[in-house]
Amino acid sequence: MQRPDWAPDTIDIERPSVARMYDYYLGGSHNFAADRAAAQAMVAAVPEAPLMAQANRAFLRRAVHHLAEAGIRQFLDIGSGIPTVGNVHEIAQRIDPASRVVYVDVDPVAVAHSREILSGNDRAVVVQEDLRHPEAILSHPDVRKLLDLSQPVAVMIVAVLHFVSDDDRPAELLATLRDALAPGSYLVLSQASDDGRSADERAEAERVYRRTDSPLWIRGRAELTALFDGFELLDPGVVWVPQWRPDTPDSAEDAERAVFMGGVGRLGD
Amino acid sequence: MTESPEAASRPSTFARAWAKAVSGTSYLPMTQAQLEALLHRLTGQLAGALLAEPFDLRAGHRVGAELVAAHIASAEGLGRTVEVIQLRLVRDLGLVAEDVEDRMARLLAAVATGYARALRDRTLDEQESIRRAAMMARTQALRALRASEARFRHQATHDPLTGLPNRTLFTERLTAALNEPGRGAQRIGVCFLDLDRFKVVNDTLGHQVGDRLLTMVAERLCQDLGEHLVARLGGDEFVILVERTGGTDDMVKVAETALAAVRTPALVDGHELQVSASIGIVERQVAGANPSDLMRAADATLHWAKSAGGARWALYDAERSRRELARYALSAAIPAALERGEFYLDYQPLTSLRDGRLLGVEALVRWRHPELGVLRPDSFIGLAEETGLIVQLGGWVLAEACREAEAWSAGGVQAPFVSVNLAVRQVHRAGLVQDVLALLRQTGLPPERLQLEITESTMMSTAEEPVRALRVLADLGVRIAIDDFGTGYSNLAYLRDLPVTELKVAGEFVAGLRSPAVGRTDERILASLVSLAHALDLTVTAEGVETAGQAERLRAIGCDAAQGWHFGKPAPADRILARIR
Repeated sequence: MQRPDWAPDTIDIERPSVARMYDYYLGGSHNFAADRAAAQAMVAAVPEAPLMAQANRAFLRRAVHHLAEAGIRQFLDIGSGIPTVGNVHEIAQRIDPASRVVYVDVDPVAVAHSREILSGNDRAVVVQEDLRHPEAILSHPDVRKLLDLSQPVAVMIVAVLHFVSDDDRPAELLATLRDALAPGSYLVLSQASDDGRSADERAEAERVYRRTDSPLWIRGRAELTALFDGFELLDPGVVWVPQWRPDTPDSAEDAERAVFMGGVGRLGD
Repeated sequence: MTESPEAASRPSTFARAWAKAVSGTSYLPMTQAQLEALLHRLTGQLAGALLAEPFDLRAGHRVGAELVAAHIASAEGLGRTVEVIQLRLVRDLGLVAEDVEDRMARLLAAVATGYARALRDRTLDEQESIRRAAMMARTQALRALRASEARFRHQATHDPLTGLPNRTLFTERLTAALNEPGRGAQRIGVCFLDLDRFKVVNDTLGHQVGDRLLTMVAERLCQDLGEHLVARLGGDEFVILVERTGGTDDMVKVAETALAAVRTPALVDGHELQVSASIGIVERQVAGANPSDLMRAADATLHWAKSAGGARWALYDAERSRRELARYALSAAIPAALERGEFYLDYQPLTSLRDGRLLGVEALVRWRHPELGVLRPDSFIGLAEETGLIVQLGGWVLAEACREAEAWSAGGVQAPFVSVNLAVRQVHRAGLVQDVLALLRQTGLPPERLQLEITESTMMSTAEEPVRALRVLADLGVRIAIDDFGTGYSNLAYLRDLPVTELKVAGEFVAGLRSPAVGRTDERILASLVSLAHALDLTVTAEGVETAGQAERLRAIGCDAAQGWHFGKPAPADRILARIR
């Protein structure tokens, strides 16, 4: 019997997961030996890898904080990974406990873990879906139940778009999401960039991620800026993530070492 | 130990230096200002612990644990914390005490211990939680897999149109029933059901109506025979598996129920459809039975029911099946037998009733079978006709007859013609004329010494080609006879169109001449046939003439010639010819 394509995969923790590698970079212990081995190989290739992850996480924190202060009460975090510390719902619900957050991830272990963390929180939920299927995300019953798409939503696509190849047409994926959003909604986007990096370093990083189910697809500033099509970029535009509205001026020093670039765009009225 | 006067402002200097030292050692979910505020508070605790009397280790533990709780939780975080406290705490806060070095060492040890303990607990907790998540994900994936496999299995074992079990599931169940005698069943039965003329419904009303009819039949079979497995094997074939039978009577009941279910008129798309079905029943002991034999038997039995006219059941009959198998084996052996020369011809005289002269002989094929002995044509010609081998066999008979007949003319006596039967397929075959012409040329037999016997059914079809071929042959002088005249579908119209020379009247009319009661009718029929034939300029030969009395009455009627035991049994050519030489 040939297994049909709707039969699910089984869980293989011998295969590194990008979500758990990211947790390792952040200093977490929500990871297995295979994840650590791959993450260590990545650190050998790109020594700043842990710094990158931390800088990106800090960018997420500042962006959510900013949007919550700006009145956003609905968040759709796609590619949320392993919920470690400083999760979107923690930041947003500290500002307003009524804030509603939907996490989306394709990794079943990350989803199971999120589900456990979120149990008892009826304003935050996790959905197992793929960024590459925006229609499925938008029409998911849990998304429909928790988010009111007629009101502004902040869509977070943070440190995940580099796992989406150009063959999957990221601009179209983003346009599908954008077209479902109400005016006043936001897009928070960041991903790995190779601006100013050597070809060797890039090749080695790509090699590490070929061990996972999610090979890397690096993009430059111009490509990232283009992905904000339809949104008005907030200042300072698409920048190295430490440069995006830093807490203190000196925390943006050596910003290009963070490898990640990102920005926040607003959907006009 | 005392504090210097300006100490109150110094903790913030220290806290800022501490914050800078631990920045970047792990992800800190707070702003730099929040971090400094936190460390400022911990600085106060450290200073307090350093001065407290007596010295309390637990204060150091608490600071270490708080650092980890605030996610300053990495090896580097601890290292830098120890370094910055050792280097700057006393200096920045202007702490003075005699045993400050002692106390500092003990405080650092306490902070490191508290930190390491908390970090270890946190690591173990996180490991536990991610493992639990992996396990949950795996359980869920397996559950989803099982659900999808169950769905897939259902799809693989059921017919999408009717929802009935399909051939796969039926075969599984049948095999299981036969292989597990432990189930207690001694006997098992199947009804193999096929709708009669279902193709007509599809062809005239369309496949949609056909499909709906099939669905309806499926529903009714399930409704009336739900206690048994009802499966659809494909097309309009259904099968009912009865896993425990007490004998053939049980199966007949099931079959009658199924026939009744199918027979009830069905309203489909405004058409009232009345269909019937044929059923082959096989019922046998579980012991020693195997699924493929059983289904083969059911299939054969279904064909018996079909060929008996449909709308009925037939019960498997091992003896009949053996006969059919033997017949099949016999037909399969014909080509090899032809090659080995196992066929030969006998001839039966056709005698003139006017002067007793031998007019012709009919060639009759014999098979000298190596195991079964000499076989007469009725045991293999029918089969050869069914399988199409008749073309090959008939061709051989025609050629052999022509070859032998040519030799009879030697000796000056007027040689008899040879009459050869042509099967329907032979007559309808393109190339008949060329074949006969080639044979006549090769053997040198004059065309008028060859008679081709065809049956009425040969001319039933409306094809023009055979008629044209026969006319060409007749024009050449070949005699054309209609065999078994009067028993088939005697459409007299073809007598007008066909180049017929002779009618051979079936033996059953002649047989009637024996008994006076029936005989009168038969005699009248024969007389009219003869006068009809003569009116059309045809000669009449009576077949199956067995007595002198019959011969006498045929002569009186005016019949031209006769064939039968009274005039001679079939025999080898030389024995027949000996009579005229």
